[in-house]
Amino acid sequence: MNGNAAPAKIVVQNIAKTFTQKKHGLKITAIKDLTFTVKEGEYLVIVGKTGAGKSVFFDCLLGLKEVSSGSLLIDGQPVKQFLKRSYGRITRIYQEDRLLPWRTATENAKLGLEILRVPEQEQRARAEHWLRKLGLRGFEHSYANELSGGMRQRVNIARAFATSPEILLMDEAFGGLDEVTAQRLRRDFIKLAHEEQITFLMVTHSIEEAIELGNRILIFGAPAHLIGEVRIPPEVAQNPKLARQYHDEILSILEAKGGIEVGMEE
Amino acid sequence: MDAGVGRKRESPQQAAPARDLEAPPPWSAGKGWKPHQDWQIEIAEEGLVAPATQLGLLKWFRGEFSWKPIAAFLGVALCWQILSLFAPAYIIPGVPAILRDFVRIIVTPELLYGGFITWARLTGALLASLLIGIPIGIVMGMFRGFDDYFRPVLKFWMGVPALNWVIIVIIWFNVTEIRIGFVLLAVCGPIYVFNIYDGIHAIDQKITDMVLSFGASHWQMVRILYWPQVKAYAFTATKINIGVAVRIVIVAELVGAPTGIGKELSLAMDSFEMSMVLAWTLWMIFMLQVLEVVVEALELKVLRWRLHEVTG
Repeated sequence: MNGNAAPAKIVVQNIAKTFTQKKHGLKITAIKDLTFTVKEGEYLVIVGKTGAGKSVFFDCLLGLKEVSSGSLLIDGQPVKQFLKRSYGRITRIYQEDRLLPWRTATENAKLGLEILRVPEQEQRARAEHWLRKLGLRGFEHSYANELSGGMRQRVNIARAFATSPEILLMDEAFGGLDEVTAQRLRRDFIKLAHEEQITFLMVTHSIEEAIELGNRILIFGAPAHLIGEVRIPPEVAQNPKLARQYHDEILSILEAKGGIEVGMEE
Repeated sequence: MDAGVGRKRESPQQAAPARDLEAPPPWSAGKGWKPHQDWQIEIAEEGLVAPATQLGLLKWFRGEFSWKPIAAFLGVALCWQILSLFAPAYIIPGVPAILRDFVRIIVTPELLYGGFITWARLTGALLASLLIGIPIGIVMGMFRGFDDYFRPVLKFWMGVPALNWVIIVIIWFNVTEIRIGFVLLAVCGPIYVFNIYDGIHAIDQKITDMVLSFGASHWQMVRILYWPQVKAYAFTATKINIGVAVRIVIVAELVGAPTGIGKELSLAMDSFEMSMVLAWTLWMIFMLQVLEVVVEALELKVLRWRLHEVTG
């Protein structure tokens, strides 16, 4: 791919995020001097230690938290400004499905569209389209607690895709599933992302998953800052030996610069 | 509004990855992976779910029905009847006398009116408490600032004993309905408020963030998240309040009302009609049971999603 020719979709410039713990007045740094750029159409995967501030970074991108310093731009605009007229163009797939139990699969899938005030008929049509595309035909009227974990995760994905996002944030989206289901969902997801021409950022603890899904892998230290970057060429998908080399390279960066404690996380 | 939806992309991104989507991933090489034949994803083997269990009220009754409680009550009635043989009727009246007075309540319009007026007061006050308590509870749950001011006042308010409220309203108001309504509202309202507040606080912050990430307004948060969540808590509060309210309404009527079961009890007490006192007690219990069944039937309907469970 020619990643360098594409325009920058997200620009992260020296951002930091600190919290003050109310009870003890402690200052906690979640993100420290983080800088990188995400090009349009890029599949970027972030790997790093638990508690490295990766999810906080996603919260900042969704406007749920504000950065303490630095600049965070989407399409050249500060996040708040971008979101003001573009909610739904950036969505998130969560590790836990976060479905509303009193809603059916369709009602959950159309949640974003409902908030964005899309006409009711279109909401339903689009939600059902995505549910069917994700293999949930016949389960449109099932409540969340009638569905298996994998099915719920598919509703979670349908909800994220239903608003036609340009950027998709995936927060360990396949982490809570058994390997067989996760593998199938990964495959389905990459197909959808490719067809929808989505830029996606994914957080994962699994290096294998990162190599499988990403074109570029950023390695985060704790608190969130860049300790390494690896580009994954397309031929890796056909070449397990090459994939193993990338795996070892990423692992060595993590081990050398204080990333994942190998053996504890996996 | 520009919701960012439904638009058509101008041009495919140049940066789209040239990944072979049909190729097996490096980690599954040689493990029998096959590309999808069709665009629609198949998940047949992922876990089948049994059809939803639809439980109607009748079916529920049928499922719960047992002869054992009836046998137990017949046993109690028999013991009572035996006991009544050894005591005067104004202390322990026989079962037939109690049942006779119970029937008298049903067939005498004035008495029946007294029975229903209490029920109407109770139901009306509960509805008013619900309508006032829910919005206050939601607002308290949503806005911390509001909670900081309201909570201490409500805690203080809840500390006032119900009987004190009865005396206060007798001095304050002339109209019976206002007296009783105010007392019930004063006692039941805060129970709704705190239950609803708890309901809002029981919502996982992650769910709230998910809804907010689509740019939900305060009103949308209430409609989509808070209101459906607090419905279950409103039913719990109603069940608690029925028990609380029935005690208060009787006391309030006993002291400050010309009609109602409380008043009838007072009259029966004055004339030493123990069988009537017990008949009114039975009526009260019957009324409560009816009210609880209605609330539970409503609960089953409103929270029907809770009946749907994964069985496979």
